[in-house]
Amino acid sequence: MYRYDEFDQKIVDERVEQFRGQVARRLTGELNEDQFKPLRLMNGLYLQLHAYMLRVAIPYGTLSSRQLRMLAHIARKYDKDYAHFTTRQNLQYNWPKLADIPDILADLATVEMHAIQTSGNCIRNVTSDHFAGASADEVDDPRVWSEIIRQWSTFHPEFSFLPRKFKIAVTAAPKDRAAIKVHDIGIVIRRDASGTLAFDVYVGGGQGRTPFVAHLIGEGIQAGDLLAYLEATMRVYNQYGRRDNLYKARIKILVHQIGPEEMRKQVAAEFVEVKAQGALALPQAEIDRIQAYFAAPAFETLRDDALLAQQKAQNKAFAAWHDINVSPHKMPGYAIVTISLKPIGGVPGDASADQMDLVADLAETLSFDEIRVSHEQNLVLAHVKQSDLLVLWQKLDAAGLATANYGLITDIIACPGLDYCDLANARSINVAQAVSKRFADLDRQRNIGELKLKISGCINACGHHHVGHIGVLGVDKKGVEFYQITLGGSGDETASIGDIIGPAFAENEVADAVESLVDLYLNLRQPGERFLDTYRRTGIQPFREKLYAAH
Amino acid sequence: MPQVLTANRLLDGEVVYLASDGAWVEELASAAVIATKAEGEAALVTGIEAERNQKIVHAYLFEVIDTGVPLRPVKQREVIRAAGPTVRSDLGKQARS
Repeated sequence: MYRYDEFDQKIVDERVEQFRGQVARRLTGELNEDQFKPLRLMNGLYLQLHAYMLRVAIPYGTLSSRQLRMLAHIARKYDKDYAHFTTRQNLQYNWPKLADIPDILADLATVEMHAIQTSGNCIRNVTSDHFAGASADEVDDPRVWSEIIRQWSTFHPEFSFLPRKFKIAVTAAPKDRAAIKVHDIGIVIRRDASGTLAFDVYVGGGQGRTPFVAHLIGEGIQAGDLLAYLEATMRVYNQYGRRDNLYKARIKILVHQIGPEEMRKQVAAEFVEVKAQGALALPQAEIDRIQAYFAAPAFETLRDDALLAQQKAQNKAFAAWHDINVSPHKMPGYAIVTISLKPIGGVPGDASADQMDLVADLAETLSFDEIRVSHEQNLVLAHVKQSDLLVLWQKLDAAGLATANYGLITDIIACPGLDYCDLANARSINVAQAVSKRFADLDRQRNIGELKLKISGCINACGHHHVGHIGVLGVDKKGVEFYQITLGGSGDETASIGDIIGPAFAENEVADAVESLVDLYLNLRQPGERFLDTYRRTGIQPFREKLYAAH
Repeated sequence: MPQVLTANRLLDGEVVYLASDGAWVEELASAAVIATKAEGEAALVTGIEAERNQKIVHAYLFEVIDTGVPLRPVKQREVIRAAGPTVRSDLGKQARS
């Protein structure tokens, strides 16, 4: 993985000391809250319902064991023994004290981490495929390109005060596990007919109040031109993006208003300008330098493990977990393991300090010292020997981390909602817990198959409800929580925005409504169809009739 | 409808309420119940003063149902602020009582 050079380290260390001074001046009153708020947000520090919240950047969701141990240490020393992994592959502490923040940031800096650009109208943490470097379907490691974009976008003076926040996601596989089409910019890396890497740049996707699927704006951009093309796109946005209305300021609104054709023209013209200046050409030597950080680990030459079938036959729970949470690896004898942070009835994305330490230990001994955070709020050990899977499962199981539900209905994405968040209109976690308990039976979940259920506590859609096969959005009706259900959303390569099915449900009706929808799907489905496939074939009408028949 | 003045404490973000003796208290039960518009305006002035003195951040009034003890906020948001996350009874104010 990428390691800081002396300049990176110096910048981050200096930033910690700068913020230490700013906090000190806030506490003595030299800075008032209006002056301090933009400074703290630049350092990832929010004020939520109960306390401050610190959002730590995890670039493209990749962590070393040392880093994860530090995150656990901070949870223990300064917070309440746990932390929350987010849908942007980041981590949030929910209870830090203002006076402790400089020390927390200093601790993070010792493991090459920070909270810079995790808030504010800048280019946020670049997200990527959590199976990067391990999956057989990718054409390159997308983290190389994520890192190049991260370096270009960090402290970029021209893009520090954009009209709104800006999110970039990168995938290098045809199967999109990074939801790139619902990002401001989504990049798909592929190989062209000659085998050369080519970058398709999708622009103007996003969720929130006005959801859109991104349009293909730049097709087949060459590697050396990638940054120039991104810079051109950002410049068009910076110039034409609205700054007068918060709700119309994202690039998706601009693309929607001028249309993808005009956007292509504008970016193409700007691209010519940027290239003519020549400053942003990405030399092969620099690509090679970054690539070296992401060189494949020293895989052993193995065959697929012969013992595995026997181990599965002897242990039903292990077999189920293996079938659901273990994905194929590009190397024979290895596997990708998803560690579910969605225990039945638990809080999606939360992990205790002890659990984080355990995962760090397991990654160190069994997965080349590396952990991934997925945007679906799970952890991933990307390179585990198949012969180690049983012992890995036993250790995870003992720590409550072996829930077999990856991609199933209880693998729910949920934002913190009104239990923590200052922006929320309704709670999300409670609804996730109710649905999770309702579908706790694993055989039932497996029979239902892949079903992505996503819950947001407000229209900002941190819980990705717009792209849930079933989406749930919490709304406030005169002080009471209600939940609107959408169907048919998807964040993968076939991205779509869910359709609102009808009037909202009370909190205690949501699990029933979901069950009713799932039961209908089971009746309607044809062989091999997932919930989403059936929905796309039948349309919303039968689901609507079923759900509101009694009303 | 009666109201209570609330804010978050600057130092640690803790939810606090203005009490009748002018102190900022952690428990809603100890908060001053504000009955009139004039009292509300006076409380907000106290809040602004406390913001200037680095005690608290963002003071505002919220509505409560004052049918004796305990005080109950009208909105779920304030119910949760007064207690802690509903999904973690071991955290927040509810964990201390």
